[in-house]
Formats: sequence, structure tokens, C-alpha cells
Amino acid sequence: MADLTAAERLDRTLAIVPWVANQPNGTATFDEIVDRFNIGADDLRDCLVITSMVGVHPYTPDVLINAIIDADTVTIELPDYFRRPLRLTSEQTFALLTSAKALLSVPGADEHSALARGLAKVLHALGEASETAVEIEIDTASDAITEQLRFAVDSKCSVMITYYSYGRDNTGSRIVDPWSIHSEGGLWYLQGWCHQSNAERIFRIDRIREVTHTDQAFVVPDPIPEFRLFDSADAQGRVTLRLNAATKWVLEYYPTESVTPEANGAFSVELAIGSVAWLERLLLRLGPDVAMLDASEGLESVGALAARRLLAIYSD
Amino acid sequence: MTPTDKSAEKFERQMNLLAALSDTTQGIRAADIQQRVPGYNPDHDSFRRTFERDKKDLLSLGVPIEVVVGATADLTAYRVDKSKYELPDPGLESDELAALHLALETVAVGSSQSDMARAMWRLGGVVDAATSDSLGVPIGELTEIPSDPALVPLFRAVTEGRTATFLYETSAGVSERSVEPWHLDFKRGRWTLSAFDSAREDQRNFRLDRIRGDVAVGDVASQAHPSPSTLVEQSDPWEFGDNEPVLVSVRFDSEVALFAGESLSSCTSTPDGDGSVVFEVPVTNWPAFRSFVLSFLDHAEVLEPPECRAAMSDWLLAIAGDPNG
Repeated sequence: MADLTAAERLDRTLAIVPWVANQPNGTATFDEIVDRFNIGADDLRDCLVITSMVGVHPYTPDVLINAIIDADTVTIELPDYFRRPLRLTSEQTFALLTSAKALLSVPGADEHSALARGLAKVLHALGEASETAVEIEIDTASDAITEQLRFAVDSKCSVMITYYSYGRDNTGSRIVDPWSIHSEGGLWYLQGWCHQSNAERIFRIDRIREVTHTDQAFVVPDPIPEFRLFDSADAQGRVTLRLNAATKWVLEYYPTESVTPEANGAFSVELAIGSVAWLERLLLRLGPDVAMLDASEGLESVGALAARRLLAIYSD
Repeated sequence: MTPTDKSAEKFERQMNLLAALSDTTQGIRAADIQQRVPGYNPDHDSFRRTFERDKKDLLSLGVPIEVVVGATADLTAYRVDKSKYELPDPGLESDELAALHLALETVAVGSSQSDMARAMWRLGGVVDAATSDSLGVPIGELTEIPSDPALVPLFRAVTEGRTATFLYETSAGVSERSVEPWHLDFKRGRWTLSAFDSAREDQRNFRLDRIRGDVAVGDVASQAHPSPSTLVEQSDPWEFGDNEPVLVSVRFDSEVALFAGESLSSCTSTPDGDGSVVFEVPVTNWPAFRSFVLSFLDHAEVLEPPECRAAMSDWLLAIAGDPNG
């Protein structure tokens, strides 16, 4: 019994006892309980022996839990308590609903799967408030594009994709060996080998406009390199900015190389820059109050130059 | 097991305590618990310490122990309402149970694996042999949903119909908000809460990543929850403002019109002949919308109203500085 804490033993027993009592004839084999509830056979036997002594005042047979323990089976008959397992906690309910709803929101998910049926039953049992409490939507990648990419990943054949590159701010076509599909932060990504760049690349699936299959087979690397959205080793340079209270959201959104608190609630923050267009966007969004304290060569005036370029649009 | 096994003694005592609390509708007084539930020390102080620890252990498992306050402290009683304790039977088939288990193992939502295992026991134990067919989606593509410390307390407030209070940060600063939470929504990588804002007497939407500190869950809320179809859906940052909406007209060129349209799908749009598209966007938070437009760089232009176009121009001028300076 030393393997389980008292709380673990109690929690598991409060689930095992009603489950056994609800089986045909209130009987289950030790093997099945051990498998289902991930408990050692000796622990289980000890718990059941103690359970057979549990009851309420005056501890007459009619108010005791009746547990008959044989060599391989146990039969449980319950008085008017412990007939159902304990309700799930808020944490457990939230995790259960969220994980199931998230998977069912994956593009192309089967709404008749065992998961969908199981979730519907759990929601019904939990009541109306839980049914509508949480909604999950994993981005807007089209089912058709996602299905085409899944097919290409499975068939291990290269694809030609038409892709809008946020970093370079242009649209172009490229041949990619699609290794795998991932979701991170609510968005979908394709990880693979880009023939144009001759390097591994990550593509946001909602920025892929078109997929064309080829019959060109490729070999998937083993193991596939770790999925990382941005590797600062690939940075085109670094900048150090001074952020104030209004602009410190940058710290929550982007990976930082270093953060140094300054006076008056300000921070100086060093960022690795993936592309000039990315830095342009950041500086235009942050506005005139952000000071650039340091920058790699060529990045010193990126914000001002981008602002002047965009101003041309507004010169009526 | 030996009689000196303290852990076994505690287990037996807590099982008996829970049985006693469940077997009463009026509640059972502490003095009666001491007398009737085996395993408690006759010494009053010792009993009290052990009883309080046991109560805490049961509460931590989620056992809903109610306190029935009496005229005097001695008359205070305790009980467990079976209707609040018992998990209604969902009637899960083995493949459904296995699929739910696989979903919990596949997608991390910030909960511990041991807590998830306990959830599965309560649902009927862990049944293996689930395949990706039972999920209906390929395994491994989706492995996490970003978590937030505010999620579980707000979920509890939604499902139990309780109020919630928290500090919320906007461009105007940090302020305390008291709300009646209605609905949690995960969209475009963000969690948002729809709620009735008591001070503003209207629906408001809150980004969870703007909540500062702990969420305090309070009493049962007064408003009836609207059905989700009647909620005003707001999921874009420029809709999270307290100002009156301004209709801003923006042209996106052919390079980005498709992607802009995915974020503005509920807005009126007019295609131009050259592949560009003009969207009419209701904006209650101009700084957030300005950021959205600027993220398209040269591919987006604010057309109307004139004051927004001028505000964008002024903003860019301030960043551009003096080209000769």
C-alpha cells in the first residue's frame, strides 16, 4: 500500500467502487480493474478489504459496503451512498472539453467519430451550462488545402505551393518536401524542405493559396528536426528597443534575446530579427515613442524608411 | 497491511467520514462525527485538527462539503449533497471512453497528466486500443492549446453561473472589472471571455492575456445566460474597445486581399477590378485597428473616414521624422 498516497487511494477507490457495483451482478475481475484504473493488484486488494469495512452508524450490515473478495473477482453491493463516481473538478472538466473540442475543430475532423459521440454524451451529462461554456476554433486554414497537404505528407511526394511570405512580403511558388503538419498557438503550419531555399522551412497553412502534387518522391529525415517557429540562429540581425508600459506587449508576443528593466517601468529589450519586413511591421505598430537603442548594420533606419514609403500612399 | 499503517488508517477514516456526510440530509455535527466515525481521537483538539485536515483533503478532490450553520458553533453541521457529488452517468461506450482518454493525452491544455488520469477514473477508467480513427483526425498534428491561469476560474464561473472579478489592462490603463461570465472562446490563437459587465450594464468581451493577477470567483450571478447564438461575437482586437464604433474603409491590394478577408469575413467588402478589395470595418479600438492595417505594410490603405486617414498619416509622419534631420 506504500505506493499510493492516501489521497490517490481515496480518489481511485471512489471511482472503482461504483464502477464495480454497476457491472453485471456487481462483479468484476481483479485483472480488469487493475488495467482500467492503473492500480497494482496488491494495492487494489488492500483498498477493497478496507472498503468492505466502511459504513455509517450504527454499522449494521444494511449500512455497510458489502464487498466480497474472491481469488480473482470482487463483488460489491452498495447502500445509498458511493453509487456514482465523484463529479469532475472544474480543471478536469475544462481539460476534457477543451482537448476534445480542439481535436474536433481540426480541419476535416469526423463529426461521427467515437470522440465526437463521447464528447456529446459527456456534455449532455454535465448539463446545459457546460455545453456552451467553451468554443474552440483553430484558425481558418481551408479544409481542402489541409487535406491536400496531409495527402502529400502521407504519400511522401513533393508539392508545389503558392505561398505568401510574410517575412519577405511577397507571393511566389516553390517546391516543398512536406514532412509534417503542426498546430501551434491556434494556427496550422507545414514543416518541410524548401527546394528554393535549400533549407528547412515552416509555412503557415492559411497563407498557402494553392497546392499542386508532383510525383517526385522524397525521404523524410529521421528524426524530423524539432518544430520551431523561429530560430534566432537564423536571424538577419538584432535590435535593442526601449519599451514603455504601452508597448511592453512585445515581451508577451515575441521571443526576446534579453530584457533589462529600466527606470519608470520601461524595459530595454534585444530582439533577433527574422526579416526586414517583420521589423518594419513591428516598428510601425509600436510608433514614435519607441527608441531604438542599438541595431545591426543596415537596420538602424528601418522604421523611418518604411514610414516614409507608406506616407506616399497618403499624400493626397 | 499492518495496523500501524497510518496511510491505511487515514484512508479508512476518510471513507467513513465521506459515507457519514453523504448519508445525512440535515447535516451531521462535528461532535457526532467524533463519536460515530471510527478512527478519530477522543481528545477534542486532536479530533479537530484531524477532522479539519480530512475535510481539506476531501475538498481538494472536489467533494462538495456544505456547512449548515447552527445557532451556536456546537450546532454547526456538515453534509454532502449527493446531487452535487454524483457524476451523472454519461453512458460512454468503450470506444468513446478510449477516444476521450486519447484526446486528453494528445492535446495539452495546461493540466497535469495525473489530474487527467483521475478524470478518466471517474468516467469509468482508462480503456486503451484507441486509434486515430476514434478521434477522427490525424494524431500528432495538434498537440497543445495555449493555456492561461484565468481559464479554469472563469470556466468555473461560467458553468456555475457565478460572478468574477479581475484586473484588466487596456490602452487606458489597468482597472478592476466585475462581470458575469457567459462564454469562453478560443479563436486565432487567443482566449476571450464574453461576459455581462456589471458597471457598464452591457456585454463586454475580454482578452484573457490582458487579465492581470488572479480571477476571484464570487456569488451566483443575477443575469440569465443568453444562448451563444445571441452573443455579439467579437474576436478581433479592434472590437475590444469601449468607444462607439466607427466604420473605417480600407483597401487591401490583390497580394493580401485574401488573407485580410479571413480576418474581416463578417465585414462588408467590395472587390475592385485590379484584384484589390475594399472592406468596411466597425472599429471601437483605433490603435488596435491601426496595428492591423500597418501589418500589411504597403498593401493596405485607410480610405475613409477622413479623420482616420489623417490619424494614420500623422502616425506615420511621427515615425518618419524629418528626412533631412
